[in-house]
Amino acid sequence: MENRPLEYDYTVAKMFMLTTVVLGIVGMLVGVILAWELAFPAVNTIAGSGLAEYTNFSRLRPLHTDAVIFGFTVSGIFATWYYVGQRVLKVSMAESKFLMALGKLHFVLYILLVASVVGSLLLGITTSKEYAEFEWPIDIAVVVVWVIWGMQIFGLIGIRREKSLYISIWYYIATFLGVAMLYLFNNMEVPTYFVSGGIGAWYHSVSMYSGTNDALVQWWYGHNAVAFGFTVPIVAMIYYFLPKESGQAVYSYKLSLLAFWGLMFVYLWAGGHHLLFSTVPDWMQTMGSVFSVVLILPSWGSAINMLLTMKGEWQQVASSPLIKFMILASTFYMFSTLEGPIQAIKSVNALAHFTDWIVGHVHDGVLGWVAFMIMAALFHMAPRVFKREIYSKSLMNTQFWIQTLGVVLYFTSMWIAGITQGMMWRAHDEFGNLAYSFIDTVTVLHPYYTIRAVGGTLYLVGMFLFAYNMYKTMTSGRRVEESELQSASPMGA
Amino acid sequence: MFHWLEKNPFFFAVAVFVVIAFAGLIEILPNFAQASRPVIGTKPYTTLELAGRHVYIKNSCNACHSQLVRPFKSETDRYGHYSLSGEYAYDRPFLWGSKRTGPDLMRVGNYRTTDWHENHMKDPAAVVPGSIMPAYGWMFKNKADVDTAYAEQVTVNKVFKTPYNAELPMADGSKVKVALADSVEAARASALEEAKVIAADMKDQDVKDAVAKGEIPEIVALIAYLNSLK
Amino acid sequence: MDIATLQAYGYFFLTAFLVVVLYGYIYHLYSAEKKGTRDYEKYGNIALHDDISDQPIEEISKTDEIKK
Repeated sequence: MENRPLEYDYTVAKMFMLTTVVLGIVGMLVGVILAWELAFPAVNTIAGSGLAEYTNFSRLRPLHTDAVIFGFTVSGIFATWYYVGQRVLKVSMAESKFLMALGKLHFVLYILLVASVVGSLLLGITTSKEYAEFEWPIDIAVVVVWVIWGMQIFGLIGIRREKSLYISIWYYIATFLGVAMLYLFNNMEVPTYFVSGGIGAWYHSVSMYSGTNDALVQWWYGHNAVAFGFTVPIVAMIYYFLPKESGQAVYSYKLSLLAFWGLMFVYLWAGGHHLLFSTVPDWMQTMGSVFSVVLILPSWGSAINMLLTMKGEWQQVASSPLIKFMILASTFYMFSTLEGPIQAIKSVNALAHFTDWIVGHVHDGVLGWVAFMIMAALFHMAPRVFKREIYSKSLMNTQFWIQTLGVVLYFTSMWIAGITQGMMWRAHDEFGNLAYSFIDTVTVLHPYYTIRAVGGTLYLVGMFLFAYNMYKTMTSGRRVEESELQSASPMGA
Repeated sequence: MFHWLEKNPFFFAVAVFVVIAFAGLIEILPNFAQASRPVIGTKPYTTLELAGRHVYIKNSCNACHSQLVRPFKSETDRYGHYSLSGEYAYDRPFLWGSKRTGPDLMRVGNYRTTDWHENHMKDPAAVVPGSIMPAYGWMFKNKADVDTAYAEQVTVNKVFKTPYNAELPMADGSKVKVALADSVEAARASALEEAKVIAADMKDQDVKDAVAKGEIPEIVALIAYLNSLK
Repeated sequence: MDIATLQAYGYFFLTAFLVVVLYGYIYHLYSAEKKGTRDYEKYGNIALHDDISDQPIEEISKTDEIKK
């Protein structure tokens, strides 16, 4: 064999680890502010009425969703790719000057993109389409950044030594392809400045589709942004990090292959469940609902595969907080992908649609599954990337319990609030009149909005502990040798 | 066959793409034309209404308010007739929303007045005790972007054949024509005329002065849009 | 043959096709292992032995042209 360089090169991985932590805190901080604003409206003018335009719920809500999706989660996807990709393909990025340079360009463009998003959303420049709020110039920049990542994936695969692609690589490829397809179609916009010959705002655009079609394309995208942003890449992570951390190969590689193809096919059909009882054709609503229920099988296929990977090693859950994070992440994945299909059943959706119960489902998925898994991945990567042991195991344990409590408070309060709304909206008195006016259903939710805000604040506190633990690991953790890094990550007291 | 696929990343990617693209082809593509035919009585937006719609979008009102009445007795009792697909024919983008922190606004024009909106937007809790809606005082000072609204009218008319300057059938058998100005100055003038009608019903002196001076505050455009939601 | 029936046929044949493919896949995975032609579980170790100096689970022999 030719003389290979001894080391994998994690420079780009480290860059994206930084943005994952920073944007995670920013996104969740905005989320916590929003939660307190719903519980106590005075928080809307937290920076005085002069800045009310930029601190109230309206302007911060798209910033929250886009910061945690395109900021925190996408950074986590890129950070873990630049780590897992090299290791399972057994090739170092240092072996390709082109890929190294491209990686750095990828990071720089990504930072500029994030800055332009924060600026434009605060100014209210949005298309209103959820999770696709960027106007067309930023959309083009997103496509460029995403294509660069695609070149990274296939570039590294091209110079790999491991012939067969590990299952995680499948999921990363699917993430790249899925989001590329979805993003392009849902962001088809016509810039009005050019068509009207230079009138009005240069960045303004009008959607390619209208009314019911626009709704269908939006939620075909919306649901599958969840699929290819919150599920597929995170499954890619857990398929590498849980076996590596626990020292156990995945329980059934065959099951992972099957669950992959099942998930790929079924997920795309399910978008219709966002539009039940709307003006979308009935048969499409039924298919969205049916395939959402079918979706339980491939989702749980991967999740059970993860839990069974711990066969014979369940004491690790007690001994290692990192394993706690990943096992609870997998469990929350099962939990959330069972709750979702239940909500997608037509009769349940008639009650749940438009209520806070949906928000509860979203957050037990993203806080319990996505964020836990990304943090566990970064914790596992830290000793390998910084060559130092993780600063404090007890701090990680504290963070785990604070955040778990935060998640539980969040979704339980949202369940109660959501079902209360659903029931009150539809309640009739004995004369057949509506029993409650709309405001009755708002004021009754105040205690649950407060509990949710407390839960979110706890989770944010956990994020600060996470950032502190990572920072101390980077700067003052005890140096470790290669031998200590075989599977379980070394941790300080 | 499968093993070969696992070894060849390029064809693997193609296979993944085909599998994930299938749903979209079957589900979305075919009904495109049929789903967006307007229903009798659906009108495109005037310049001022469109400027107001942009204020609605700019402040993410769709994050808390929906515009979709579902076919349930509880919803038709509360909000009026359930939504028809054709009613959204000229909504680019659609504003159905996905959360009702606040009530549905699909037919708010039927049961709220300009005066009510003015008081409510300035201080929601004063008009609706217990409301958690933030106050939108800056809408009384910021000016609406009428030019962009006109640019959008020109674009949808040219690219999507939205029927401006055309006789549109109304439910009561009458015919209505929504004018598309032939220049941005004409559009500003017509928007101002519409704004004067709305400002007449308002009490805020700054707004009335601004409209008298020929400027259109965001609140006036927003109210024009909200009143058009019938 | 209006669009709705076309969609119905599309949906039916697609689902049938995928049921066959997915079940064929499971059968292939297990039968290949039973007959010993391919042990899929060894690929699970790619994650465990992932040092740059580790021996690849399956070498890319010089004859194979690496697919880009």
